[in-house]
Amino acid sequence: MKGRPFLAAAVLLSTATVLLPFALQSNRFIAFIVGMVMIHLVWSCGMNLLYGFVGLMPLMYAGIAGIAAYAMIYLTRVEGLSFWLAMPIASLGAAGVGVLLGLPSLRLRGFYFTLCSLVIQTGMTLAFTYFPRYTNGDTGIGQIAPPSIGGTPLAGATLDAMLALFAVAAVWSVAFLIRTPTGRRFIAVREDEVLAEAVGIDVVRTKVIAFFLMSLYAGVGGCLYAVYVGFVSPRAFDILVSLSIWLLVAFGGRGSIIGAIIGTVILAPLPYLLHDLSGLKDVLTGALIVAVILWFPGGIVEGVKSIRKRVLAKAATVPPAHAEAVHRKVEGRA
Amino acid sequence: MSEPNLLVLLSMLTTGILLGLIFALVASGVSIMYGCIWLPNASNGQFFVLAALLAWSLTSQLGWRVSAALIAILAVSGIFAIILEYVLIRRLYDSPNRNIDYFVVTLGLTQIISGIFGFTYSHYSDQYIIPPLVEGVTFIGPMPTTNNRLLVIAVAATAILALFAGFRFHRIGRAIRAVFQNREAAALRGVDVKGVYRIAFILGTVITALGGLLYGMAYSFDLGLAWTMSVTAFAIMIVGGPGSILGALVVGLVFGFTQAVVSVFSSPTMATFAYLIAMLAILLVKPSGVFSR
Amino acid sequence: MTAPGTPLLVTRGLCKSFGGVRALKDVDLEVRSGEVLGIIGPNGSGKTSLVNVMSGHLRPDRGRVEFLGRDTTTFKPHDLAAIGLSRTYQAVRLFNGLSVAECLNTAALMGIRGDVPHPDRREILEWLELDKATGRLAGGLTLFEQRRLELAMRLLLAPRLLLLDEPVGGLSSQEVSRMIVVLQQLSERCGVLIIEHTMHVIRALAQRTVVLIAGEKVADGEPEAILRDKRVVEEYLGGAHA
Repeated sequence: MKGRPFLAAAVLLSTATVLLPFALQSNRFIAFIVGMVMIHLVWSCGMNLLYGFVGLMPLMYAGIAGIAAYAMIYLTRVEGLSFWLAMPIASLGAAGVGVLLGLPSLRLRGFYFTLCSLVIQTGMTLAFTYFPRYTNGDTGIGQIAPPSIGGTPLAGATLDAMLALFAVAAVWSVAFLIRTPTGRRFIAVREDEVLAEAVGIDVVRTKVIAFFLMSLYAGVGGCLYAVYVGFVSPRAFDILVSLSIWLLVAFGGRGSIIGAIIGTVILAPLPYLLHDLSGLKDVLTGALIVAVILWFPGGIVEGVKSIRKRVLAKAATVPPAHAEAVHRKVEGRA
Repeated sequence: MSEPNLLVLLSMLTTGILLGLIFALVASGVSIMYGCIWLPNASNGQFFVLAALLAWSLTSQLGWRVSAALIAILAVSGIFAIILEYVLIRRLYDSPNRNIDYFVVTLGLTQIISGIFGFTYSHYSDQYIIPPLVEGVTFIGPMPTTNNRLLVIAVAATAILALFAGFRFHRIGRAIRAVFQNREAAALRGVDVKGVYRIAFILGTVITALGGLLYGMAYSFDLGLAWTMSVTAFAIMIVGGPGSILGALVVGLVFGFTQAVVSVFSSPTMATFAYLIAMLAILLVKPSGVFSR
Repeated sequence: MTAPGTPLLVTRGLCKSFGGVRALKDVDLEVRSGEVLGIIGPNGSGKTSLVNVMSGHLRPDRGRVEFLGRDTTTFKPHDLAAIGLSRTYQAVRLFNGLSVAECLNTAALMGIRGDVPHPDRREILEWLELDKATGRLAGGLTLFEQRRLELAMRLLLAPRLLLLDEPVGGLSSQEVSRMIVVLQQLSERCGVLIIEHTMHVIRALAQRTVVLIAGEKVADGEPEAILRDKRVVEEYLGGAHA
């Protein structure tokens, strides 16, 4: 599936991504949006793992990100740990919570699972708001210090570059994960859970692992969000955020790494570009959600594939079997 | 019992009944849609609040008479349901995973409506209320209660009884129940399944709108009520069992009383927490609900 | 392979009810090494429930299942696959969105236990005539090819016993004949239990047949003897026959 040229292009793109912030130094507005896209890339990788590759829709995703963020803030402010220690601890903790929350819902299928996750998310938002001891409730926590290296706090382009590194790492790690036996098990569970079980895959264990990994991405993204934006409140991690992260993957193309990237790059900037018209942002997101379900459930990637197929079929004056072979050659990979 | 305590008790009782009946009504609407069409309507809370907001606009901003406004909104809700069904809902009737598709679509709908609220109603006020339909106060023991609230209780109770009777005895109600119980069998018996879907959706929407109107008459509300109501309605439906009006009534009343009692001792949010836990518990132990066969 | 005649799978007193309906009533049976066991019965007789219990999809209300001497009543399907028991389903089940090769890779993910020789994938594919099809989408194969792919995937698990639920369902009569040959060859590689409702398939394949009627085992023996058993003739074959 990955030819040499593709790999080379990926490396090139990754390097360019990390260097991009330095090119954007002068325009803080664009740089900020790019920074948010990076954070959302980390998030969409995690969501893609569970929604795209395992086939479950976890609406408590933002809540888990919030747990990591609040935990990290606590560890840095109250316990005095550095960001580089607090973030992994908080993310692992959030991943543990993610597994606990995912555990009982593992026996629920489809809609009931999603509903359960929505309930859990609602509960988390309520907890964030009404147990202000660690979260400061609706008022939120501000002035979150950025991470520092060697005593110097990261800022500007260096901070953005750090985000870009995380984003690139997230994408590569998911691409790698999918090719491991664990990743193959994820896909098997998505395709047919019963069959997966029959050919020796421990489906429950696979789902638990998926939950754990997904929650790691959620948590890391949450910590990055906290230090980049500098301010968190329960609304930063509520159901609407979960839904919009889901939309990034669904719109781009679930189960496709490129799809998730495309979806994120296109959709993540929108709320910040439409920032003054917040109602419009909601209407647009809602409309996209409806459109994706009704008209293109496979996202942009599926749409492109089917257009390609139709174009090739029309252009071909040869029998369909040959066209199929030509088409596959042209495509080069599955 | 001392008078203050009696007052508190009576107050809790009326609030419990009032809230409980309204909850039961909205939960019935959601339950009908889910049981019959497999349509979990996540936007039910938005419809609920939208109905109340429109009534507020008609009365407080445009000066309509309350009775006219109420009837108009009910009619509009029916028309809105017909249009929505035509444009959106019917496209998924044949989808294999339609319950999750509908759930996500209605989540999208929720966001659309909530966005619209964002650039319209959120600018007017924080709290809204529909002016009373009838004036005057009645005393229940030492406790005064507005006649308006009593009227709301009466209307809500009548509506639920009507639903109950309709499903038992009326031809259409029986058709809805038949489809709910066994789609294929109903189709074989000649029931126009998609037509029943249509009716169920319109009925469910109008009931939800009615619930919103009644709530707006009895209490002041804000935009945040939409989401809370959605969650509550779902919780009631899941706990009571999808498709069961009786379940919606009983569980609705329980939740109503819970909220009434909890509000006295702590914040209403605690009640919402309780609903969530109840819903979670049922989902994990007996997903078909308490009242299912 | 184990000595012929040793029991591979034994069920004792299996009982299962759904709601008020008793799907399995006290079913005792044995699948032995070196023979193909057939299970026949009319619709609703409990055949699929029986296989579901044997393969770990269903827990019986009472009774035990023993595989290779171990009590496997509570084992999940993946546990059973790991010790050598797997099954196919009445309606073909494949990873439709994956290619043939990817389906096989998925089956190959399971670790094979030490005491068993590693399955030779190429040989299996050549035998089942799927070696040229590895790049194709599983969902795009013909039904006959799909049935063979199901077998190929199971064989990669190095099974000791395969439970096949109506393996010739939906095939044309020519394909059925070819499949019978395949299944006969399969029985030389591992134990086989076949659920079928077509008599001539059972007669061609099974050395021994169990008849299930309304959840009860009504007969157990050689197909010819079964056909002459009074109760079988009355309740099962009377009227409908193969």
